[in-house]
Amino acid sequence: MVLRSPNLGFPRKIVAYYLFFCLVAICWLAVGVFVVSHTIASSRTTSACLSRLGKASAAIEIEYVRHGVENLQKLLERSQISTGLAYGAIVSPDGTCLAHTDANLVGDQIVDPTGERLRWGDVTSVHFVDTRGRILDEYRVALEADNSQFGSLLFAVHKPSFGSTIRETAQVAPLAILIPLLLIAAGAVILARLARPVADIESQLRAIAAQTPTDEVQLKAMRATDAASSGWNRVVESYERSRGNSSGNDLNDRLAEAIQLRNKNQLDDILQSLPDGVAVTDVEGRITYTNRAIGALMGSYDDSENLNDDWSTGKTISDILDLDDQDLFSTEPSSRVAVSEINRDAGDSTRVLRVARQPLDDQWSHGYIWSVRDVTQQKLSEKMRDQFMDTATHELRTPLANIKAYAETLATCDSIEVSEQREFCNTINSEVTRLARFVDDLLSISSMEVGALILERQKVELSRLFDEVVSKVQPLMQQKSIDFVVDIPEKIGELKLDKDKMSAVIVNLLGNAAKYTPDSGRVEMRVAREPSQLQISIEDTGFGISPEELPKVFDKFFRSEDRRVLEEVGTGLGLSLAVEVVRMHGGDITVESEIDKGSTFLISIPIE
Amino acid sequence: MESRNKRVLIVDDNVALARVTQFALDGAGFETEMAYNGRLALEAAQRKHFDIVITDQQMPEMTGIELCRALRLLSEYAKCPIILLTAKGLELELPRLRKELDIEATFPKPFSPSAIVKKVDKLLAVNA
Repeated sequence: MVLRSPNLGFPRKIVAYYLFFCLVAICWLAVGVFVVSHTIASSRTTSACLSRLGKASAAIEIEYVRHGVENLQKLLERSQISTGLAYGAIVSPDGTCLAHTDANLVGDQIVDPTGERLRWGDVTSVHFVDTRGRILDEYRVALEADNSQFGSLLFAVHKPSFGSTIRETAQVAPLAILIPLLLIAAGAVILARLARPVADIESQLRAIAAQTPTDEVQLKAMRATDAASSGWNRVVESYERSRGNSSGNDLNDRLAEAIQLRNKNQLDDILQSLPDGVAVTDVEGRITYTNRAIGALMGSYDDSENLNDDWSTGKTISDILDLDDQDLFSTEPSSRVAVSEINRDAGDSTRVLRVARQPLDDQWSHGYIWSVRDVTQQKLSEKMRDQFMDTATHELRTPLANIKAYAETLATCDSIEVSEQREFCNTINSEVTRLARFVDDLLSISSMEVGALILERQKVELSRLFDEVVSKVQPLMQQKSIDFVVDIPEKIGELKLDKDKMSAVIVNLLGNAAKYTPDSGRVEMRVAREPSQLQISIEDTGFGISPEELPKVFDKFFRSEDRRVLEEVGTGLGLSLAVEVVRMHGGDITVESEIDKGSTFLISIPIE
Repeated sequence: MESRNKRVLIVDDNVALARVTQFALDGAGFETEMAYNGRLALEAAQRKHFDIVITDQQMPEMTGIELCRALRLLSEYAKCPIILLTAKGLELELPRLRKELDIEATFPKPFSPSAIVKKVDKLLAVNA
């Protein structure tokens, strides 16, 4: 039965219910119409018959009074024709048939039929079934003349049968039934169509409900024809997305995936922000990954800062690096780290890059990881340090060699004149002094490096300090016939300084001025005391310093590349020491210079 | 002895040291001349004949080794004994250089002048 079937889909169920109830209603309506028309028909027949009866009885009574029983038969026959009786009869009080529509029955005894009797005033009706099985209603009325009953008039009519009623109503109202049926059918179709999307959703849900609890829930999108189906599609889409691509929709799996993705992105960010260049290649050298820095270091970025074709994956690393070192390109599997240095132009200077290749052995691939580091600065520092070492060994060994040679000669030689002896001893003396000064410088630098340079401030009378300084450098100035001018105000006062270190700095600056000034040049030292600071300026007419070298002058080990400067002995340490000492006093040291014109160094020390 | 008339060329930018070396050699009867750098030494070597050359290694413009090479190119000095005074650590390369340039002896600084004199004596006695 439709109501009980579990296999029927959702829309079909609705439509089925709809159709069922509509049709039941229609049937009920049809039955009602039928019953009503049947009742109407039968009552019509009865009332027609009754009215005829009345008329006929009146006519018969008049005829009887006039002519007696002669014309009664004709009169009766006429009545049947006009009123559609089953039969009609006039029966005498004793039951003899005086007239009958069926002429054969005239004279026979008419038996009163048995059946349901009803009485309407003068009329009696009997509802019975005759011998032939027909349902009849007989209406009887007394016939009277001269106040005596001479007989009864009987009219019998057929009750309309169902068949006849149906035939009648079928003729009358086909459209009245048919049109509602068509409307219902149309309604069913529309209902089915409207319910289709919901039907699809419902069938999916039923399928899901039919699954076992451990099965994965599968949702399918559908053709979006209306709001419900569009909404469903969105649900499916969102469900699919949250499920992810993994085979499992387990929460742990999803979490692990998210973490892995974040770590991968973080790792990539880290690699991209490294200042060193990183590239990954396979065993054959084909590039599979590069970070931003490697392109910049190798000079592979074009103006728009886009990684140019060099680094598109697929190129091999030997296409890009012109390495002479065959080690780096040997394709023999090697677990050694291979390192090489290459030079790369960068604008108007050259970069020195250290390239290292390390075997990469992770679970995904074998290959190499290449790192590129800019070691230009490092190389420069190394070069400076080497230069310093050369100078230092020379500066140490030279006086020692001299001292030893002269001492040994003095000790072993038999024939040295006294004047020569004195000369030799003086030489030894000055060599020792030279050595001592250099050792002092070295020690100061070392302690500065270690951070052990400590200022010992005392109240120093400045005029005395400058006197000492001047006397120290006087011989050097005289040696080169340099015009040494000293401009110091008389009442220069006192200041809290580390006397030894400060005078060493000034001596160093004056020594430089003398060293790097040709003979007969000029060196001027000017001291000024202002309310807030003490200013010492040392000006020379020497070689000067080029604009490129000027900022580097105070760097440790820095020596100018000017040939004239290199010819003089120098460690490159004096100025860096000077800067340190002055800064520790809270002051600053600056320089101005012009090539071939000279340099001016300015020390300013705050007065607290 | 005959060797005492021999001429020695002393090449060193360290004036004081050259001076004391000269003093020691003069005292031993040699004729000495000083040159303060390689260029001056070559000039002197071509002006006069020297029987032996004593040269410092670390000098500006031309090192002792470079001077040796230049001297060896001169036919006159192809076989001349040369003594090298070294301050820098050339220890590793010395055997090779000595072979290549036929340097008779090397003295690391600081050295004793009398030892130099002894060596010079020995070398020039052989050649005499």
